[in-house]
Amino acid sequence: MKSFGIEFVPMDLYWRTTYYTIQAERLGYDSIWITDHFNNRNVYVSLTVMANYTNRIRLGPGVTNPYLVHPVMTAQSVASLDEVAPGRVICGIGAGDRTTLDMVGIEMKSPLRTVREAVEVIRRQIAREKGSYEGRVYTTSAGARFNFKVNQNIPIYIGAQGPKMLRLAGAIGDGALINASHPDDIENAVKQIRRGAEKANRKINEVDIAAYTSFSVADNEKNARKPVIPVVAYIVAGSPPSILEKHSISIDKAEQIRSDLANRRWGEAFSAVDSDMIDTFSVCGSPDQCTDKIESLFKTGITHFVTGSPLGPNIRAAINLFGEEILPYFKELS
Amino acid sequence: MEYRELVKSIPLTLRETLSEKLMDIMLEAKDGSKVSSSLAKMILFYWQRDQLASEAGLTNLLKAVAGLDPIKTATVMDDFGLKEIKLVLRPI
Repeated sequence: MKSFGIEFVPMDLYWRTTYYTIQAERLGYDSIWITDHFNNRNVYVSLTVMANYTNRIRLGPGVTNPYLVHPVMTAQSVASLDEVAPGRVICGIGAGDRTTLDMVGIEMKSPLRTVREAVEVIRRQIAREKGSYEGRVYTTSAGARFNFKVNQNIPIYIGAQGPKMLRLAGAIGDGALINASHPDDIENAVKQIRRGAEKANRKINEVDIAAYTSFSVADNEKNARKPVIPVVAYIVAGSPPSILEKHSISIDKAEQIRSDLANRRWGEAFSAVDSDMIDTFSVCGSPDQCTDKIESLFKTGITHFVTGSPLGPNIRAAINLFGEEILPYFKELS
Repeated sequence: MEYRELVKSIPLTLRETLSEKLMDIMLEAKDGSKVSSSLAKMILFYWQRDQLASEAGLTNLLKAVAGLDPIKTATVMDDFGLKEIKLVLRPI
């Protein structure tokens, strides 16, 4: 069974993202993921409004991180959201991004252990377990329990990019959110998730594997490519040399983009983004081109495809194009 | 004249396409925060029920865009041949 999700960044007014959410639900999308950054609107406020105006679509943070938000609070938030949208809540969690954490003086210490323990704490809280929890990062006492009844079926998706986090997602996640767009990267990620699952004696089909892509669709390729340029510039700037080398992207060029972005020279940074970078770090094009690319991604073993920012030159039109010209093809196949 | 009265004068055949155009104005306006939260929620209420082209849906949309971007709203009214509405929108 193939699922399709969409990501929104609550940078925009709540009623606009809610409008798009209603539109996506109506067109047959399966999931809504809302990013969690302190400098945007609050993820759970956004999700609560969206939950109020929808009936079917699943929704949750995509992704929150355990450095800025303690896992007991994440558990409380998703459990409360589940009262508003029973059985529809999903919870994406990852290590977060260093740039944002740096801004508030938080060090990303032991990301693997922190995410693992955070997932354990969230699950224990949701299950209202009675005993205490003694992790290396988190501890909770026996009394740290919810005073309200909770639906215990809130799937936890682990956002991952590196091999170890991907294996952790395979080992303990109900789902994995692969932060990549190129088929080779996603194929490798699926292998790591599979390894993690096998090592934990799980079946791979117990994990919903999502490609969480940078996506843009428009009537024609040229219009679709333009809005991904800034997103790709940031991805290139943040990519480790190993990833750049693997895709034959000049490390010097990436370094230059990084420096231009850091110095707010947007024009220089964005004009340095070339076609290869766009093809490596995004899924974009006309509806037919996107359909082909998504089909090749499903062949790697993913079960869920998420259209992430920027979506297209016009968000409303992009959601319509995806829902009317891409989604029916895959829904028919399944 | 009330917004609802204005909407009543819009031919039924135009309402669906007009609601789409007005929604575009709302979604693309630079200062969307000019729309009050209560009005925005009314519009979401009608959108959720797929009734933005209804009399009530259009009334709320028109109220929102007239305050948000009067110039674009006037242009859309012109495009739809609703010149009388364009003329009366300003004093509301």
